Amino acid sequence: MSPAALVALLMNLVAVLALAGFFAGAGALFGPRSRHEGDADMPYETGLPPLSPGHERMTALYWRHAVLFVVFDVDLAFLLPFVLVRPRLDAAALAAITGFTVLIVFMLAYFWRKGALECR
Amino acid sequence: MILLPQAALAGGVLGALGLGLLRRPPALAVRALTFLAPLAALLLLPMTPAGLLPPLIAVDIKCLGWQLVIYAAALPLALRSSADDVEAALFLGVVLGMGLLTAAGNLPMLFLALEFMSLPAYLLVARAGTGEGGRRLEAAVKYFFAGALAGGLFLLGMALYYSQTHLLGPSPRPVGLLAQGGVTLMAAAALFKIGAAPLHWWLPDVYEAAVPEVTGFLSTAMKAAAVLFLMRVVQLVPSANFAPLLPWLGAASSLFAAVMALRQESLQRLLAYSSMAHAGLLVLGVGAWARMGQSPVAAAAILFYLGAYAFMSNGTFGFLAATGLRTRAQLKGYARRQPGLALAFAALLFCLGGVPPTGGFVAKLLVLWQAVAAELPGPAVLAALSALISLGYYLGLVRDLYFEEPVMESPAPGGACARILVLVCAFGALALGAAPLLLKDLAGGFWR
Repeated sequence: MSPAALVALLMNLVAVLALAGFFAGAGALFGPRSRHEGDADMPYETGLPPLSPGHERMTALYWRHAVLFVVFDVDLAFLLPFVLVRPRLDAAALAAITGFTVLIVFMLAYFWRKGALECR
Repeated sequence: MILLPQAALAGGVLGALGLGLLRRPPALAVRALTFLAPLAALLLLPMTPAGLLPPLIAVDIKCLGWQLVIYAAALPLALRSSADDVEAALFLGVVLGMGLLTAAGNLPMLFLALEFMSLPAYLLVARAGTGEGGRRLEAAVKYFFAGALAGGLFLLGMALYYSQTHLLGPSPRPVGLLAQGGVTLMAAAALFKIGAAPLHWWLPDVYEAAVPEVTGFLSTAMKAAAVLFLMRVVQLVPSANFAPLLPWLGAASSLFAAVMALRQESLQRLLAYSSMAHAGLLVLGVGAWARMGQSPVAAAAILFYLGAYAFMSNGTFGFLAATGLRTRAQLKGYARRQPGLALAFAALLFCLGGVPPTGGFVAKLLVLWQAVAAELPGPAVLAALSALISLGYYLGLVRDLYFEEPVMESPAPGGACARILVLVCAFGALALGAAPLLLKDLAGGFWR
């Protein structure tokens, strides 16, 4: 990396920080002063008093599905570079990609069998 | 086919997962698969010539030698594994990852193999074994974070290296500062995996909490793979900036671990520090190897050390597994109850301590010899000093075994298979000491 590129990177960093800082701080600088009294600081929830604190733990029972989705999504994304490096689908390419796909289907069957796809 | 052993292991992984599809996986089939897949890999090794499958795979003579040690070191855990199909798949996955790591032809493949061998290992630490698993889970999480940090360092180093050299493999010419920094980061990742000071903080906890058999596997096969990983990183550039640091790091971590092991009460933690001391000596060996222009003789010395250590470490952790002993207090007077097992353990301790004429002595001698030949007298003296200190606890354990009165009940020893394993390991470690010159000549000729 040349010094000029480093300087450009640094300038970019400074610009980004300045811009983000401006957006974050502009309200406090130029906005109307708020009067902190009574219920003025209460979060607005369709005009009703909030039912519970905002920072609450939520159940995420779907986390396993999310992980499996990411895994299989990445697996299937491999089909794209395959098409690029093997534009002609000859016998060897077909065998290779069939093996790959069978492996993915096998893993899907495995997760299914182990109950990882159950909705709880 | 140059990847026959890896293919056998991949078949083993798929087979174990396939057995998991059954409603009730047959225990015998799972056990047989766990043992036969590494054994098949070991037996297929002589049939696999060196060769290239560019750009990802490069099988050289070092790859073959390391595969031999790794598969052999994995056999004890394969023999003692449970009938759990998930555990079998995880274990075979780790071994497959190691096999791929030895054959990695460029940096992305090296990274893939590193993750391939590491990720199942974290789960193996957490899952293997029975009873309360809280401590194992904690250790696995620690192991995971250390490993994730190492993986991140490696990726960052790889990116820096690539940004300057535009290479994904070794550079034929000297490289600039940025690429040198990248190589240093990659070496830090390797030192993390080896567990050399000052990147060792995860090691005692993980080695103590895991099941003894798994710790034996991690301290031998995993360590061998990590040492080869370090050597591949050193090979990236003609003269790596960090290479002169390696001998000192190795000697320092050896010394530190030897002193720390002196005051341990838990046997497994003591042996964990002992494993770290041995790893330090291996790092010193890698430093000597790098300094002597990557001499094949030094590489052979490192490989011999790994081979001998595979017997010693698997044997000692196998002893813990076979007897169920946890603390030094339980060890006191154990020789009166189980004379055969105690004798094997004492022999293994002498080997670990490097007392002549055992395999451990020959291994230490070869590596220190290489360090002296590489004109590294300082680290060599420090390492020898740490070996001397380590005798304090190895011989202390022997004294506990033979010359102390039993102070408490010890648990009943395990099955015949576990005991035979300890005896075989002790015999192997001793036998390696009996034929040093023959083996050294063999190794020398093999590498030239």
